[in-house]
Amino acid sequence: MTTKYDNQNSDKSMKASWYEAAKGGAVVAGVFSVIILGLLVLNYLQKELLDPVRAERLENLKVTLIEQPKNEQLINTIRELDLQLRKDKIRRLQFSQKGGLLLLGAVGVFLIGIKSAKAFKAKLPHPTAVTDQQARQIRQAILARWVTVASLAVLVLAVLFFINTPPIDFAGAVSSYLSDEEIAKNWASFRGPQGSGISAYTNIPTKWDGKSGESIIWKTAVPLPGHNSPVVWGDRVFLTGANKQKRQVYCFDAISGKLLWQADMINPASAADKTLDMYEDTGYAASTVATDGRRVCAIFPTGDVGCFDFEGKKLWSRNLGTPDSMYGYASSLAMYQNLLLIQYDQATADDNKSKMIALDTFSGATVWETKRPVPGSWTSPIVIKIGGQSQLITCAEPWVIAYNPSNGVELWRVECLGTDVAPSPIYAGGLIFGIHSYNSLVAIKPTGQGDVTKTHIAWKAADNIPDICSPVSNGKLIFLLESYGKLTCYNVSDGTKLWEEDLKTSFTSSPSLVGDRLYLLSEKGIMSIAKVGSEYTEVAKSSLGEKCYASPAFSDGRIYIRGVENLYCIGDKN
Amino acid sequence: MLRFGHISICIFISIVLCGVVFGAERFPPPDFDESGHELPSTDYITNITPRHTIYNYLDVAVLVAALSLSSWFVLKKRSRRSVFILMVFSLVYFGFWRKGCICPIGAIQNFSLSIFDHNYALSVTAILFLILPLIFTLFFGRTFCAGVCPLGAIQDLVVLRPIKVPSWLESSLRLFAYIYLAAAILFAATGSAFIICRYDLFISFFRLSGHLNMLILGCCFLVIGMFVARPYCRFICPYGVILRQLSRLSKWKVTITPDDCIKCKLCEDSCPFGAITKPTVEWPQIGYTKSRKLLALLILLLPVLIFLGGFGGSSLNRSWSRMHATVRLAERIYLENQGLLSETTDASSAFRATGEPIEDLYDQASVIRKQFKFGGWLLGSFIGLVAGLKLIIPSIRRQRTDFQADSASCLACGRCFKYCPKEQVRLKSLSEKQEIADDDKI
Ligand code: SF4
Repeated sequence: MTTKYDNQNSDKSMKASWYEAAKGGAVVAGVFSVIILGLLVLNYLQKELLDPVRAERLENLKVTLIEQPKNEQLINTIRELDLQLRKDKIRRLQFSQKGGLLLLGAVGVFLIGIKSAKAFKAKLPHPTAVTDQQARQIRQAILARWVTVASLAVLVLAVLFFINTPPIDFAGAVSSYLSDEEIAKNWASFRGPQGSGISAYTNIPTKWDGKSGESIIWKTAVPLPGHNSPVVWGDRVFLTGANKQKRQVYCFDAISGKLLWQADMINPASAADKTLDMYEDTGYAASTVATDGRRVCAIFPTGDVGCFDFEGKKLWSRNLGTPDSMYGYASSLAMYQNLLLIQYDQATADDNKSKMIALDTFSGATVWETKRPVPGSWTSPIVIKIGGQSQLITCAEPWVIAYNPSNGVELWRVECLGTDVAPSPIYAGGLIFGIHSYNSLVAIKPTGQGDVTKTHIAWKAADNIPDICSPVSNGKLIFLLESYGKLTCYNVSDGTKLWEEDLKTSFTSSPSLVGDRLYLLSEKGIMSIAKVGSEYTEVAKSSLGEKCYASPAFSDGRIYIRGVENLYCIGDKN
Repeated sequence: MLRFGHISICIFISIVLCGVVFGAERFPPPDFDESGHELPSTDYITNITPRHTIYNYLDVAVLVAALSLSSWFVLKKRSRRSVFILMVFSLVYFGFWRKGCICPIGAIQNFSLSIFDHNYALSVTAILFLILPLIFTLFFGRTFCAGVCPLGAIQDLVVLRPIKVPSWLESSLRLFAYIYLAAAILFAATGSAFIICRYDLFISFFRLSGHLNMLILGCCFLVIGMFVARPYCRFICPYGVILRQLSRLSKWKVTITPDDCIKCKLCEDSCPFGAITKPTVEWPQIGYTKSRKLLALLILLLPVLIFLGGFGGSSLNRSWSRMHATVRLAERIYLENQGLLSETTDASSAFRATGEPIEDLYDQASVIRKQFKFGGWLLGSFIGLVAGLKLIIPSIRRQRTDFQADSASCLACGRCFKYCPKEQVRLKSLSEKQEIADDDKI
């Protein structure tokens, strides 16, 4: 016969055995969890430490492949490494998923075990006697208030901390783009402000000699060749240079001439274009860079376009696809607010490949693209302001087309140009001037909408029309320079030819205007300086002693000229 | 001997690292640029068909059933075991099966947004999920917290060795929940963010994936939850703040004893959430006038705190407003344009690619900042009010004669029932009645 006492004893011993079982289960599950955990951590560390190293190796190999596109062994190594990386990633992912589930399960079993063990050894309540309940009540009330006060103090500190974060006031932020004054003070793109070729400064030297070093502040060799012109912002001068293999952007210190940095334009997507053969007169770096004072953007005939900050760090780069250009791509870049404007004319009009592209200078993202009904051209776009409204002016056969630079919507167009257009347009005396190479100078009233050919051509002139050099004008007179040296002056208002002068030398560089003086840089590197007036009056002649194809850039008291090998800074040495 | 402390440390490390493991990222698609390979369609991502409406109604039906059962188990059946089983079911259904969405806590935000943004359509399911637990709380106390909320359930399961948080500390820590509630409403109402969902500590467990930081934070909370029972429910949950106040008004409240309290003290330490209030003794007469003066002073301080809170909240409008994507983007664009940041983000690049005028973006951001200025006043005033009341309440001298489950703090878990001798008597008589009934049947 079993007594109540026996029952209690067997109950106790059963509880004890259940307790042991639960405890044992918890221990086993705990140990199991730790083992899985160790394996998972190992897996995670491999992913975190090993994979990035191999991924970097893969990226480096891919960059090497750009240099050696036909290296079969390299291609195989890349393939194998890529496959291995992917396989490992999948394996690790699966391992971590399954392991994680297993770990959760094990932790669950552990919890059940430990809770059960606790239940089988439940402690009986031990009510305690409080000696001074009154004092306890009062103490608790006081503490509750003080802790609330402390919490409030923490909140106040948090408020003070966050209030002190530097404010960003959008109200004053509307003018965050370059002002017209800033643009006018610098030489931010091909032929300076509005692509006019007019210097904002009149204190530009007229006399120098490259051989003796007279007035040559500095002269620095440019690593790679290029026909593009210098661009100047503050104390920085920018150029590009390229050959078949490399495309580089250079930044020189305007004070000392030191090459501050050079940056390679590398785009994996343009690897195939390493074989691109360029027309010799154009070269591999004909397009002039553009800057907005914080970043400098460059484009190459391979279709590589990119932006660098003033310290040479690449912000972004893209490949727009190699332009199909007969003489090689040569259009320079223009900028408007945050937009990099690229006149991407190519092939024939029927190919429908030409377009105007606006990229965001900050990110390289395409903001707008507008198709152009034109074949390849070699002109550069200009951005001008007419009555507070900006216009982007482009020239290509047969159209002079104006766009709204902020959205690419066409404003007006005039049919007046012929094949192989190279001189860029200018805006002077309220008129746009486009040049039909060898054929005509066309003055256009930049208003209206749609095709205004019949209504907006102010006048046309046909004598001594250049094929390469862009014109320059002071608003009253416009000067044309033929590549074989004929300088012609027209009246802006009615197109009357006033005079012509044969300079008897060849020119590729476009003429510039400094105050009332014309600066004409010949291919031989001789700068003829003439007074603007009713006839040609040469006031000075200076020689660089090096061939020149690019147009000069002007800053306060200085002129920057790119020779075929060197970049010169000319000014008062003192 | 098995030491709980050691085990807990093991679990802590393992769960934290388990989170790390789940954080393993996906790898990028291969570069098939040159081979012309077309990547598989991602239509399955963009063309996800919405969940069938019937399942939404099923969710509501399950919610109603769970709330009813929970209330019945707690108030009528007084069975902790039943509540526990229901809690596990809710964890599985609302947590792992429904992946923690939709939940009444997050529905606060849907509701707030729908009030201020007329273009936002609030689903019937969201309304019901928000309101049903509130209605049940008004009648039966926090039975939602006891057996229906998956967030509460997952924490409840890990309670191992709960320590007692002193009531004065508990009350002050709870201030955070009020701030969280106010902030959640402000950010939702302004269309900035659903912070309750974004910073859901346990959703990563339910979905078996998630942001690494949230996984780690969730793990930390579970580890803390072993020693401080249900820390999220008590100190953070914004919905809990509303339920607290409603359950004060509830018609039927949880009682520790099924009968009269005999003040045996057996239950006094049984509640892991510190929700049992003890009988008070007479307040001392000494310093009575001083206490009354203090109370008067604190009452006078209340409007000052409300004003200062409002002022502080509105002053933070620029910081608050950064939660809104438009303001963040505008600030980023501003800094990039000023040359203070040289690199762009995906968002700023995408905006720039639209070609939209930056001034428009700045204008939108300014409008949002104004909304935050006004919202900051409301939020700050609310926090000032709560903090002021928290100063006043300890000065109010209340009399209690029994051991009671504090209706606001009691999560209706039913743990304390078995500690009451009267409950044991009730259970015994129940089982005796059952035996008699069984005999009768025979
Ligand atoms: S029912 Fe309420 S008072 Fe009782 S243990 Fe649960 S939470 Fe605490």
